[in-house]
Amino acid sequence: MQFFGGTEIISPSPPTPSTSVNKANMMYIFNRSGVCLLYKEWNRPLKTLNAQQDHKLMFGLLFSLKSLTAKMDPVSVDKGNLGMPQLPGQGCSFHSFCTNTYKLSFMESPSGIKIILVTHPKMGDLRESLRYIYNLYVEFVVKNPLYSPGTPIRCDLFNTSLDQYVKSLVVA
Amino acid sequence: MAPVAPRTGDAVFANVERVNAELFTLTYGAIVRQLLTDLEEVEEVNKQLDQMGYNIGIRLIDEFLAKSNVTRCVDFKETAEVIAKVGFKMFLGVTASVTNWDADGTSCSLVLEDNPLVDFVELPDTCQGLYYCNILSGVIRGALEMVSMKTEVTWIRDMLRGDDAYELRVKLLKQVPEEYPYKDDE
Amino acid sequence: MGREVAESCVDSVVIEMVSAYCSRLYSTHPEIAARRIEAIGFQVGHQLSERYTMERPRFSDHLEAIKFICKDFWSELFKKQVDNLKTNHRGTFVLQDNRFRWLTRVSYDPTPANSDVSPASDPSQVVDKAAQATSMHLYFPCGIIRGALTNLGIPCAVSADISNLPACSFVVRIKV
Repeated sequence: MQFFGGTEIISPSPPTPSTSVNKANMMYIFNRSGVCLLYKEWNRPLKTLNAQQDHKLMFGLLFSLKSLTAKMDPVSVDKGNLGMPQLPGQGCSFHSFCTNTYKLSFMESPSGIKIILVTHPKMGDLRESLRYIYNLYVEFVVKNPLYSPGTPIRCDLFNTSLDQYVKSLVVA
Repeated sequence: MAPVAPRTGDAVFANVERVNAELFTLTYGAIVRQLLTDLEEVEEVNKQLDQMGYNIGIRLIDEFLAKSNVTRCVDFKETAEVIAKVGFKMFLGVTASVTNWDADGTSCSLVLEDNPLVDFVELPDTCQGLYYCNILSGVIRGALEMVSMKTEVTWIRDMLRGDDAYELRVKLLKQVPEEYPYKDDE
Repeated sequence: MGREVAESCVDSVVIEMVSAYCSRLYSTHPEIAARRIEAIGFQVGHQLSERYTMERPRFSDHLEAIKFICKDFWSELFKKQVDNLKTNHRGTFVLQDNRFRWLTRVSYDPTPANSDVSPASDPSQVVDKAAQATSMHLYFPCGIIRGALTNLGIPCAVSADISNLPACSFVVRIKV
């Protein structure tokens, strides 16, 4: 199956033992109305909230951060007021932030699909990877005849290919 | 890392999986015919086709965005061009032209001279009032709604009704910003 | 090569047609929905086989015609041939496609939904529901096959069997 035109699906050779430690912690996919379509976790020893609170907090964090980063933009004219709702794709957009314990990578499509991957802080630039995951979402979720848009994702083919792909991401 | 550049319509179409247009055209034709039998009222068929199109549009938008690398649709003018040149090309293999902008840039026409939906189609007289291609207007409305643009899409010209081209009027009603979806009750 | 469109056009129109018939038009009568979807397939198959056989001599027997469906017809539609053809020599043929193109993206998660999502919590219910929904999508290709064979002068009944996605077996019973 083709995803990126001529380029075949990235199917990495099995990770070598030294890098086989999974560097991803967890992942979220939200749609434009804030529904958490998918939450997946690989390594999250510390949990303090229930699932719903956790999703809401993550969504809120992104929402505020987007608004703040756009407001602080020193070069773009089109920034609006702080807290003013934005259109997806409007203004500048952040794609990751890092703390001493984790890195959060983020992508948002103009249709408001948000993909968030939380990893080891030393993980490199994941923008391409998130786009790849967006393509997986299109192939195995959106084009799955059994999936109704806007509902939580329950598609085996997506889960397996996502899991395989995320596990292949390694710290350079 | 440089951002990935949006692709041209030709490039995207060359790279997607394609099928014989016959299968598509005949399938669509069979659906319209069956709906006419089942629903009897032509107006009901128009509505059903529009609804089907809308539902297709809200799915198709993500495939479009993912494969074309289009990363922003904020400006309506720009978006109309992208639909005409990349969207139509990527799915139907034809391009539309964008014309007749109104003064404030909120409505325009998409004109199609070549339309694979209607190959081998002739409408019998009993189908007066049928907008055979109504699925297309639904697709555009659905897809645009997903990129925050509420629109109204209507047919101006229809070759099956004797006009010289297909013309869709797309009117932007409002752009809906993203809102914080949760109530602050906790 | 004639005109082409993106495969997604066909996929989306078929998905939406099935959903229109199953959830909007005949939501309380799945058997009527199934018949209508099959009828749409029948028209398509009838017209396609008319087109694909225009410049061909007539088929001498049933097996010839079935072989045409398995090879040329299947390739035009699905870019591959049927993988296996079986017959009991008494008018029943089984056409098996190990990777049926219209099922390659069908999948569901058989484990019960963990939290907020409400409906079926029993895994077997989830599986049943998914199998039912999938079979609704198969009335269309069944109709196509029946339409194509009917156009070739072979009245028949066609059903589909999915026990192992994305493989699919179409069972053709020729009426005598």
